[in-house]
Amino acid sequence: MENVIELQHIQKSFNGFQIRDLSINVKKGFVTGFIGGNGAGKSTTIKMIMNLLQQDSGTISIFGKSYKKHEKEIKERIGFVYDENIFYENITLKDMKMIIKPAYKKWDDKKFQYYVEQFELPLNKNMKTFSKGMKMKASLAIALAHHAELIIMDEPTSGLDPIFRRELLNILHELMQDEDKTIFFSTHITTDLDRIADYITFIHNGQHIFTKEFYKIEEEYAIVKGTLDLLDCETEREFIALRKTNRGFEALTANKHRVATIFGDTVVVEKPTLEDIMYYTKKGW
Amino acid sequence: MLNLILKDILIQKNILIIYIATIILYLMVNVSSVFIVFIYSIVFVLSAFSNDEKDNANILLNSLPYTRKEIVSSKYIGTLIFTGFFMFYTYLFDFLLNGKEVAVLWKEILLIMGLVMIVISFILPISYKFKTKYLTIFMMVSFAIYLVMVKSFFPNFNNLVKTVVQNFMTVQELQLYLIITLLIVLLYIGSWMLSIRIYERKAF
Repeated sequence: MENVIELQHIQKSFNGFQIRDLSINVKKGFVTGFIGGNGAGKSTTIKMIMNLLQQDSGTISIFGKSYKKHEKEIKERIGFVYDENIFYENITLKDMKMIIKPAYKKWDDKKFQYYVEQFELPLNKNMKTFSKGMKMKASLAIALAHHAELIIMDEPTSGLDPIFRRELLNILHELMQDEDKTIFFSTHITTDLDRIADYITFIHNGQHIFTKEFYKIEEEYAIVKGTLDLLDCETEREFIALRKTNRGFEALTANKHRVATIFGDTVVVEKPTLEDIMYYTKKGW
Repeated sequence: MLNLILKDILIQKNILIIYIATIILYLMVNVSSVFIVFIYSIVFVLSAFSNDEKDNANILLNSLPYTRKEIVSSKYIGTLIFTGFFMFYTYLFDFLLNGKEVAVLWKEILLIMGLVMIVISFILPISYKFKTKYLTIFMMVSFAIYLVMVKSFFPNFNNLVKTVVQNFMTVQELQLYLIITLLIVLLYIGSWMLSIRIYERKAF
């Protein structure tokens, strides 16, 4: 399967923060959710993918090309949505379009108009009157109007109300009917991913923990609950992390079947949520 | 590239009318047109620059299919175009309002362009390296140094400037003009290259 984004052995350190030997592949034609806690390195990684930051070492290739030689070609094919405001505040969306449109060869005015109407965006109001959700939609309309093949979003749903979030997910869902499109987005609202993500990439402390197909996570990982007398040095090793209370323990395993054979019916095995996985991984690291 | 230059006009279109109106006002009270064009060109370029900085537009511009070289170059080329625009506009109105003959025009053009290029050559690399808020500090410090220097070493500094300018306008030797022009162009290109280097290493 073709990779749209390939990060290999990326090292980057600044301001007391480090990304260590990060290697990530994002597959073409799928939605990949990019998760990790605050300060895990999600935004930094996305900025490196967008060439807003340069890595200290390692290689980044987008569509199989490097930024050094093909910067414009790559960016021509990327649509972006950021967490922070990137628009000039004192001009209208119409002016903003006039600034952005000539940058792209494949700009499609009709499509832009279509999304502006669908998202109910005012063309003649200053950008500073736009709410966060509207700015996000404006970014998305721009990304879709130039036929971006790869859409990169940094926390697109943070700070949005549930209705907005669901609308966004519906739009993305519709978009993915086109098999050539790829979406890579970071979030810490993991329930967003249940509805849309095909793959999950998880980083923690600047390190890649895993990239897996969503359904496989449920097959492999499990939350195990049982009484304290079941634990000893040997069995504790089966878990990524565990939490003990007076009444028993709760732990996360990455090997559901093995745990099932070791403990049998003495423990309760539950499906983990992504949040469980993030929480225990942080504890166990 | 041209799009980036047009962008600098577009984001200031709301205050463009103020620029134009105040120029007319200055001309009516007979402020020297060299001075007007010089100040307005610098202010225009810096205002466009601080707009990019204030609104995170650098993130936007760098995410669009532009190279960093193009983004920096648009400022240097834009400066020359904007100065040209202000010059045309100011001289036009100077002629219409005050009926001034524009006989020594080419020397004045050279003087304005030269001054703008020298100032921009210093300001842009500093602005790319640090934030523009440091630029105000830099300007305040240099103004203080300027005042101290003038007070203690050249009490007649302002007259000196006037004489130098007058000499410049009256000197007949073409060679001198050529050498000065060449030096300024070299300074400008050097500053341009330096800004590209600074900007290419920048993180957003």
